[in-house]
Amino acid sequence: MKIDIQLTDAPIVIKAAPPPERGAHGVLVEFQGVVRGGEDGQSISALDYEAYPEMAVRQIRRLLETISTRHPCLAVRVIHRLGLVLVGETAIYVGIISRHRAEGFALLSEFMDRLKQDVPIWKRRALPALTALADHSPDAPVPAVSPATHSAIRSLDEAISGIQIHSHPLVAVRLPLAQAFGRVLRETVCAPADLPPFDCSTRDGYAILAEDTARDFRVVDTIHAAGWTPRQLQSGEAVRVATGAPLPCAGLRVVMQENVERQDDRFRIVRPETAANLRLRGEDLKAGQTLVPADTLLHAGTLALLATAGCVQPLVSPRLRVCHFTTGNEIVPPDQTPAPGQIRDSNSMLMLGLLKRFPCDLEQNHLPEDFETAWARLDLNRIATADLLLISGGASVGDKDFTRPLLERLGFKIIFSQVNVRPGKPLIFGVNGSRVAFGLPGNPLAHFVCFHFGVATALARLSGGKPPAFLRGRLAARLENPPGPRETLWPARLEYSGGTLQLHPLAWASSGDVTCFGSASALLRLPANGGSLAAGSEVDFLPATAIMDA
Amino acid sequence: MRVLFFAQLKDVTGCDRFDLPLASPVNSDQLWAMLLEKFPRLADHRSNVRLARNWEYAESGTPFTDLDETALIPPVSGG
Repeated sequence: MKIDIQLTDAPIVIKAAPPPERGAHGVLVEFQGVVRGGEDGQSISALDYEAYPEMAVRQIRRLLETISTRHPCLAVRVIHRLGLVLVGETAIYVGIISRHRAEGFALLSEFMDRLKQDVPIWKRRALPALTALADHSPDAPVPAVSPATHSAIRSLDEAISGIQIHSHPLVAVRLPLAQAFGRVLRETVCAPADLPPFDCSTRDGYAILAEDTARDFRVVDTIHAAGWTPRQLQSGEAVRVATGAPLPCAGLRVVMQENVERQDDRFRIVRPETAANLRLRGEDLKAGQTLVPADTLLHAGTLALLATAGCVQPLVSPRLRVCHFTTGNEIVPPDQTPAPGQIRDSNSMLMLGLLKRFPCDLEQNHLPEDFETAWARLDLNRIATADLLLISGGASVGDKDFTRPLLERLGFKIIFSQVNVRPGKPLIFGVNGSRVAFGLPGNPLAHFVCFHFGVATALARLSGGKPPAFLRGRLAARLENPPGPRETLWPARLEYSGGTLQLHPLAWASSGDVTCFGSASALLRLPANGGSLAAGSEVDFLPATAIMDA
Repeated sequence: MRVLFFAQLKDVTGCDRFDLPLASPVNSDQLWAMLLEKFPRLADHRSNVRLARNWEYAESGTPFTDLDETALIPPVSGG
């Protein structure tokens, strides 16, 4: 019996059934244990599961192997969630493939009973139901703002992995293929038939028996690209075929029309060739092989492949809902003239542009600097339905900074509030169920940097796709990295010259500099403590443009 | 020997793991005696806790050695 066991902190996708046993099974039994809204008479919002993972996996396997000696089945998949599981979410999934229903049901029933006795997994605590967002009336009491105590600083790697761990793929949707561009495929699509589906000619010419030694042939039929007439050819017989046309039977080759002299319905081969000029059935891909794997970003090529497979309603990532707030009284809209001490808002446009690559509905607003005024102005219903909340500015520790208390009052748990990177140190990241939020430092360059390592990582995870990864490249010029305690993400221009990709470091002095990201298309990852790097040195970099997405 | 605590036993002991040096193999009674000496509050839970040795529930009479990973398994509640 095939056994697959997974312990995961990510939501369990609905299509979790174990792979089918071709032709052997008659039954798929699926079970999902879902977190109830009440535990011991209390309203709850989530359960927090804990496991002894090494032992839990062994015990589950042991149980399945023991029980299946009495109730033989073909394949079982067990997935158990760990960590926070929200009310309504699946905590355990069991999928069983068997020949008949009796053994599938029996295995399931006995396994679930034994799991609850022997497998070291615990409901660690039940989280009480949240009321802050459930009740949107202005008079509703809101939880007190907690002091900013846990301001542990994270390394860049810790921050990125924290974002990956806490951002989970949103529930997938089925869309017409034509609307799926830019979405992440959330199911693996296999070839439903061999590709190509039949042996076909790669030339305009004549199909003859592969081993035919005759020189003179009689044309007995014609097959165009769209038609097919089966016929068993004899020695000396030929069928006229067009490029792409299916062949009339097996064991043939195609003689190019340029290599024959034809007269009426007869021809003679004047230049013998060795090539068979065929594409054989299944040569590209065999039926059942993976055509497009889950987590693939759908672009022109992959959409065309799905069309080939007849996958007209693919399961894909949903359109993300994003709320973006700018803060700070020093900001005026771009169409206004700043008073002394003020600047025009560039972050709204920056964020709008950066988010263009992701299918999302973006709503942008400005918040006043006073906390209670800002709070009163928030559309909580709108925020409650946003998958991603972005707040620009107000992320450092100045008196008027309020991003952290705001996120906490909105029910977000702050995962980190500082990252040991420059620029971009005061980056706040929080989660509230399946929703994630960032407090971005207000300086535009810091915005640019935090978007690419932070927000883009969350967006990829929410969509179920691959998060951005550091690549390796060469410096086009010498770079002096001033000493400092933090890693640096240094803006650079990615340029194709002299046959290779070159990274040109751009000049910048502070995170308030804006001119450099006018041409920044990459961020160089430089270690802490500075040092100079010679031209030609290898450096890690994060692409900051869509051209590198492939 | 490494000893692991889970669920409410973490609250009881205040830690999730504990290194217990063993000069020679011990049986489960001897192991409990050592654990209770270090964590007296575990006494209330002993009747409900099963011992696991190297990811398997320990049979009675199983010897525990210094190289083993031992876990105290309180009543489970998965699913």
